Amino acid sequence: MSEAVKVIDDVSFGDLLANPYPIFKRVRDLGPVVKVEAANIMMVTRFDDVMAIERDPVTFSSINPQSLLNTVIGPNLMRKDGEDHARERAAMDPSLRPGVVKRCWADPMRAICDDVISQIEHKGEAELFEELAAPIAARALADILGFDGVDWRTMALWSQSLIDGSGNYSHDAEIARKAREAASGVESAVDRMLSHHRDNPNPSMLSSMLQADPAQTVEQIYANIKVAIGGGLNETRDSILTLILGLLQNPDQLARVRAEPSLWGQAFEEAVRWISPIGMYPRRLARDAEISGTLVRKGEQVGLCVGAANHDDRRFSDPEKFDVFREKKSHLAFGAGSHFCAGTWVSRALVSQIAVPMVFERLRNLRLKDPELVRIRGWVFRGPTHMPVVWDA
Amino acid sequence: MPTIRFLLTDGAELAVEAQNGRSLMETALEHSVPGIIAECNGSAACATCHVVLPEEILLALEPISEHENDMLDFAEAPRESGSRLSCQIKVSDALDNISVRIPAA
Repeated sequence: MSEAVKVIDDVSFGDLLANPYPIFKRVRDLGPVVKVEAANIMMVTRFDDVMAIERDPVTFSSINPQSLLNTVIGPNLMRKDGEDHARERAAMDPSLRPGVVKRCWADPMRAICDDVISQIEHKGEAELFEELAAPIAARALADILGFDGVDWRTMALWSQSLIDGSGNYSHDAEIARKAREAASGVESAVDRMLSHHRDNPNPSMLSSMLQADPAQTVEQIYANIKVAIGGGLNETRDSILTLILGLLQNPDQLARVRAEPSLWGQAFEEAVRWISPIGMYPRRLARDAEISGTLVRKGEQVGLCVGAANHDDRRFSDPEKFDVFREKKSHLAFGAGSHFCAGTWVSRALVSQIAVPMVFERLRNLRLKDPELVRIRGWVFRGPTHMPVVWDA
Repeated sequence: MPTIRFLLTDGAELAVEAQNGRSLMETALEHSVPGIIAECNGSAACATCHVVLPEEILLALEPISEHENDMLDFAEAPRESGSRLSCQIKVSDALDNISVRIPAA
C-alpha cells in the first residue's frame, strides 16, 4: 500500500531563499516525497532516492517541451533524454573533457585569474563576489564558448537574466523582458562568431558544435550555448566563493590544504557538497511510480533537491559542517545520470587547481572583513552573494 | 550467461552471473560491487566506474573512443594499460569468466 504525498504549508518562499537547509531536513525526515506549498513543488530530498531516480530516466523524464526553460531559451539538451540528448551532449563534450581542459584551457584560465587578482592585489581589501569570482567565472566561460571579445559584465547579465527567466513562475513582465533581451544578445553573438569558428576549427564550444557529426542546427547551437551560459557561470562563481568561505571559516583545514596541495581537489568536492550551487532541478513522471513507497502520478513533476541530498545525515555525518577531511563519499552537486554536469571537469580545474589556490597564494593572510557581512542566498541556486575580505597588501 | 569475476580493492573476488548486452558497469551495480560508483550512469562523463581488464580481452573489444580515452587519464585511481570505463563495455560470451579488477584509488 503506497503512502500519499505529505505537505508542508508553514514555510515561506523567503524562508527557502534565506536558508533552505532546515526545511530540507524537515522534508527528508517527513517522507521521501513532500509537497512544499511555498515552492509549489514535490521535493525529493534523500540521497538514495535522488540517485535511484537519476538511474531511471524512462520513468523520471527530463523531456518537457512546455517548460519555462524551453520557452526562454528554445528546445535544449537539458529537457531531452536518450539519443536526442546524447547527440547534443556529444557536440559540446569535445570542449569540456578533462584532458582538453588541461591542454587547452588551463593556461588561459590561469592568465585570467592572474589578471583579475593583479587588479585587486594592492588594495588590501575587496568584495570577492563582484571583484573576483564573477569576473573569473565569466571570462573563463567566454573563452571556452569561443565568445571572444564579449566582456564579463555582459556574460554575467546574460547568465542571470536567462536563469531568472527560466524560474519566472510568477510571469513577471520585467523578468521575461530581460530574459528575451539576453536570449537575443546571445543569438547575435553566436551569429557574429560562427563564420570565424567555422573557418578556424579550435577547441571552443562553438567550434565543437560546428564540427559535430551530425551537424548541429543553428537553433540547437543557440539553445545549448544559452544552457552553457546559464549553467556555466553562476555555479563556477558560487563554488569559488564557497570554497574560499569554507576555508576562511576553518583556518586549521586551510593550513592543511595549503601544506598539502594535492588536497585542493578534495576541498573543492567538500565545498560543493556543503553549499551546492544548484540545489534543485525537476523531473517529470512518464508513468505512475513509487518513490520509496510514495506514489507519484504520471505527468507530475518532482524537484530533485540535490542540495538536500548532499546534507542527508543517512549518508553524511554532521552534514552542516564544512569538513575537507570527512569520510570520502560521492555527492550529487554535479547531478547524476546522463545529465551529469558537462562542465564538471572545467570547474574542478578552474576552481580547485587554479583560482582558489592562487587567491590564497597572492592575497596574504586573507580573512573575512567581518563574518557578519557575508551573505549567502538562494535554494534552487545557492551561493555567497556578498563576501568582503581583507588581506596584507 | 557469462560469469564475471570482480576483483575488489581488498583482494576479495566476487563472481557474478551477467546478462549479455548489459554493460559491465550495470552488472557491477546490480550486484553492488564496491568501488563502482557510476555517477553519470553510463555516459562516460564522470570516470567513476574505472576497471582494469586483462590485456588479451582488450583486443576483443570495440576500440576505445577518444572521449573515454581522455576521461581515463583523470579517473581517481591511476590509469593502467588495461584500464577502461566499465560503462563502455558490453557483456558478451567473449567475456565469460574474465577477471575485472577494481583499481584502488
